[in-house]
Amino acid sequence: MDRKRFLVSSAGLSATVLYGPFVGAGSAARAAVTDDDLAFANFGVSAEFLLKDFYAKALATKRFGGLHANVLRQGRRAANNHAAALSNLLTGAGDTPPLEEDFEFAWPRRTFASAPQAVKTGLTVLRPLLGAYQSAAATSSVVDYRVLYASLGASIGQQIGALSALWAPVGAKSFPVATDVETASAAIEAYLG
Amino acid sequence: MSRPLALLIALVTASSLASTASAQPQQRSLTIYAAASLTEAFSSYDKAQRYNFAGSNALETQIRNGAPADVFASAAPLNTQRLYRAGIVDKPVTFTSNRLVLIVPRSNPADLHSVYDLRRKPVKLVVAGSAVPVGGYTRTVLRKMGLTSVLSKVVSQESDVKAVTGKVALGQADAGFVYGTDARPVSSQVSVIRIPAWAQPRVRYEIAVVSRSSNKAAARAWIKRLLSPIGQKALRRAGFLPIPRASR
Repeated sequence: MDRKRFLVSSAGLSATVLYGPFVGAGSAARAAVTDDDLAFANFGVSAEFLLKDFYAKALATKRFGGLHANVLRQGRRAANNHAAALSNLLTGAGDTPPLEEDFEFAWPRRTFASAPQAVKTGLTVLRPLLGAYQSAAATSSVVDYRVLYASLGASIGQQIGALSALWAPVGAKSFPVATDVETASAAIEAYLG
Repeated sequence: MSRPLALLIALVTASSLASTASAQPQQRSLTIYAAASLTEAFSSYDKAQRYNFAGSNALETQIRNGAPADVFASAAPLNTQRLYRAGIVDKPVTFTSNRLVLIVPRSNPADLHSVYDLRRKPVKLVVAGSAVPVGGYTRTVLRKMGLTSVLSKVVSQESDVKAVTGKVALGQADAGFVYGTDARPVSSQVSVIRIPAWAQPRVRYEIAVVSRSSNKAAARAWIKRLLSPIGQKALRRAGFLPIPRASR
């Protein structure tokens, strides 16, 4: 397989992993979906919109250049893809997903005043979200959902690593703690407006 | 309906009527059918009009059956849109929004501090019926938060948000879901528990001129003023939220 064909097929596979299980599986998933499944997805979509906003605002400050800016761009793209995948999940389960327009995010005044401060705030949002995705991956009643949540958790873990490496001491944890939606929600509620 | 609740509702109604009666004389007042949650806001914004406050679903039925309304202000687009599709009202517009909260009596007998406590503790919960906008929004919140199981703790389903507020304020229930604006007038009797932004439903208030109104020009002008900075400021003062970005 040449390089171009490999890239095309990899992109296709990524899209299937992200969106595939939820596009046509609505009715099958609907039968088995639980209250908690929907709660994780609703919280996840909202938190991903928040992250997208965070990355966009951090980029807009121009305090991050070169490779650092790339980390933020990738984070923004991931947040956008995650929100789309979770919205798809909710639609497939017969629910109405939140929209970005539903939120008036409230960042503390000094959040983007310096790069270290911005990184610190980003990590404050990312860590509880990772915890929530870990719980969702462990407890969801639908196999496809568990696969998605595991993937989302891995991506958020990567973002924590990449963002930490910019300004904060990289403290890789052997076992990040899984949290329920209530705890994760309490941790980032103030930013959601 | 219990005696104290009936008394509270009677007092609220009497005060509303009194404020309407003391209004400045005008050529001809409009008859405005409005969601119960708009009671305080509309009554203080414009005392010169005649109001009928009730659950939006009940008002929709009354207008559909020929009630003599000039303007209909609903707490959910569903009610105005249904009448619009039936040709009973002119094209509705969004004029404000709101948020849901959980209220508990000041004494907080069930010791509730978070919406999640509803799942953990034995409570007497009061909600509006599912056909009433606030009742539908309540169920949306519970579904988003993964808490639909707490509906088994509902001891009473009310016909509008004021009845829910009244029951909690009088201590006849441990908790109830109402709009943030409904908690304000009874703030000395209830405590508010916030619902996270991610679990909030899209609460959109719509308003429309009733097509058969004989006072359509005045009705249109009234709506236009409500949408103006003056009207919007009055709604904000009463605790309502700005017109959502998606509806502008």
